[in-house]
Amino acid sequence: MTQEDDALRREIRDWIAREAPRDWRTASTHEAFVASQRSWFAKLVAAGYAVPHWPREWPGGGRSLAEQKIIYEELARADTPRLLLSFVSTYHAFATLAECASAQQRSHYLPRILEGETWCQGFSEPGAGSDLAAIRSRAERRGDVYVVSGQKVWSTMAQYADMCLLLVRTSADGPKQAGLTYLLMDMRLPGVSVRPIHQIQGDEEFAEIFLDEVEIPVAQRVGEEGAGWAVAQATLASERGLTLMELSYRMRGAMVRLSEAVHAAGRTCDAGVLRKLGALATRVDAVCALADRFLQKRMDEDERVGDASIVKLAYSRCLRAWTDLGVELADLAGQMHAPITFGDLNSGNWMADFMNSYAWTIAGGSDEVQRNIIAERMLGMPREPKNWITEAGQ
Amino acid sequence: MSEMRRELEDSARKVFPDWQAAQDAKASWAQMAELGWFMAGVPEALGGLGLERRDLAVIFTEMGRARMPGPALAQFLALEALVQAPDFPGREDLMESAMAGEAITASLTIAGEDLTAVPDADTADRILVRSTDEVTLINLAGAKITPFPTWDGSRRLFTVAPAPDVPRIPLAAGSEAAALTERLDGLLCLGLAGDALGGADAVLAMAIEYLGTRRQFDRPLAMFQALKHRAADLKVALETATALYEASSEAAPLALGAMKAHCCEVYKQVAEEAVQFHGGIGLTVEYPVHLFLKRAFLNRALGGSAAFWNESAGDAVLELAAVE
Repeated sequence: MTQEDDALRREIRDWIAREAPRDWRTASTHEAFVASQRSWFAKLVAAGYAVPHWPREWPGGGRSLAEQKIIYEELARADTPRLLLSFVSTYHAFATLAECASAQQRSHYLPRILEGETWCQGFSEPGAGSDLAAIRSRAERRGDVYVVSGQKVWSTMAQYADMCLLLVRTSADGPKQAGLTYLLMDMRLPGVSVRPIHQIQGDEEFAEIFLDEVEIPVAQRVGEEGAGWAVAQATLASERGLTLMELSYRMRGAMVRLSEAVHAAGRTCDAGVLRKLGALATRVDAVCALADRFLQKRMDEDERVGDASIVKLAYSRCLRAWTDLGVELADLAGQMHAPITFGDLNSGNWMADFMNSYAWTIAGGSDEVQRNIIAERMLGMPREPKNWITEAGQ
Repeated sequence: MSEMRRELEDSARKVFPDWQAAQDAKASWAQMAELGWFMAGVPEALGGLGLERRDLAVIFTEMGRARMPGPALAQFLALEALVQAPDFPGREDLMESAMAGEAITASLTIAGEDLTAVPDADTADRILVRSTDEVTLINLAGAKITPFPTWDGSRRLFTVAPAPDVPRIPLAAGSEAAALTERLDGLLCLGLAGDALGGADAVLAMAIEYLGTRRQFDRPLAMFQALKHRAADLKVALETATALYEASSEAAPLALGAMKAHCCEVYKQVAEEAVQFHGGIGLTVEYPVHLFLKRAFLNRALGGSAAFWNESAGDAVLELAAVE
């Protein structure tokens, strides 16, 4: 730990003490939660802590791994709200714009992200989940516009988004990946409607997007027509792993809630409970170390195919185990219905936390898809034959 | 990856490319001495190479990969004790001969337990005995040495009762002994954890290679998703444990113990599945996969049980909360 690191830690700790919202867990409506998200993001941007992973030319960008760690550690330690509303804009939209968009698109949209413009991702569809390339939402070119009709699902906070990263089908010919095109869609366009999804724990973190003859200017296309799949890979790669360091630190910081649960259950002398708690604490430490190592590798450009899948699986399974132990410790009292804290994974409302953990075992590439990636692309195990229908028909 | 780490790995794998290369205990002991492994952790001022713990950690992993026989782990403990001990007449000679490969053994259990699980006690000249009251080197002449044959067989273990009137060299007493013993237990846990991860990596590679060659239902077993997913889960567990291991070489003794428990559990899990992946052939003594399973179980039982370490780690979590 260098002197500069110590100084940064003190600086951010002082800043958090002054500026961080304390009442966000008590937000009783989605609107209040969203309002607190917006003001918290604006404060972080102003202080230069919102986008430490962006390049140096942006305010608050260009942070070293050590600096990013300090920032996330301190934000987690102080139990500050996670940036849920601006997550897609600062990771997915940023990476897509930075890596694939035109200079004009970049200079138009990137500053607006820091000003609070929020984005959602319009990739998944009812018929295209793990098999993302099976997208059916259709875009037809008519002069200077694409006319888009279809349905998107599992878009995080789409009901509050200004813009959408939209993947649509422009051609049904050839391999299904080759017919996809990537568009930047204004959510206020006529024909766009959004319906929140009521989740099993009471949250409405995701939404469906319905597209009915939406006219999107051709100038809003990223990359060439038919090149959408490659652009989408850049979008998805931006998330994989990067945010897991922050999430892992938050899980470690929240070990205190499991400890409180042991105290509350009066089981501080129960050796069986202590062994589970200790083993889990070590596993959480291991996941944090893994996330650290992954980020270091990425910064050193030493990342292997499959590394991001390993980090995601390690985190998602550990989060499930973390919430599972909480539910077990809370026993019957934990079965009493309790209102949720919006958008939190480690709240200590154990049943809600448990159900929320599916967001990490299913979204962003399910655990099963990650296992395929690790097995096939890292361990070199062969793919299954593709045309099972043909084979079965023989 | 650091330069030192790469060098250590490269040189180790040249001499011990796989588990078979190290099976002649006498020869591999000489090779380890030749590689300078016993000098590695000794400061340059005392004639060693002055490497750090994270470098020793690389050596431990390579020992596990090679399923190394012999008392090397005990030798590292004895050398560390000599390094940490205040100077005494004859220390330099002792250290020099130990660095050259003269074996000093030690129990691979944690302090407070009897002198059990002592590797190669029948051939070593001395034994390091540690407790919270004193740390001593005791001559093994005339000691009662009882074999403790294990399922593993890669480590030759004994139970030792030193003769009452043999020469003893005190290395630490009182609070210094307690601190030194804690330090040595931590090093033991680091060594066992590294051994576990190296072994797990080797046996996982062995299992995946087998799945790729064995054909049933007109295809390699490796093509079945049911097996792929299990292999992927093992890879995730191994990579996660490895990240913790690499980040922990300088950790406090309790964290090292908990880390050891975690890594040894992963080794056991990987080896258990590796035998299953091999099917019937994995149950034949000619096929090496069982060797790793047995070492995995032994590692788990050495250096303090998972129950002990996990309970201690759980206690620490409760204390953390009390401070908040």
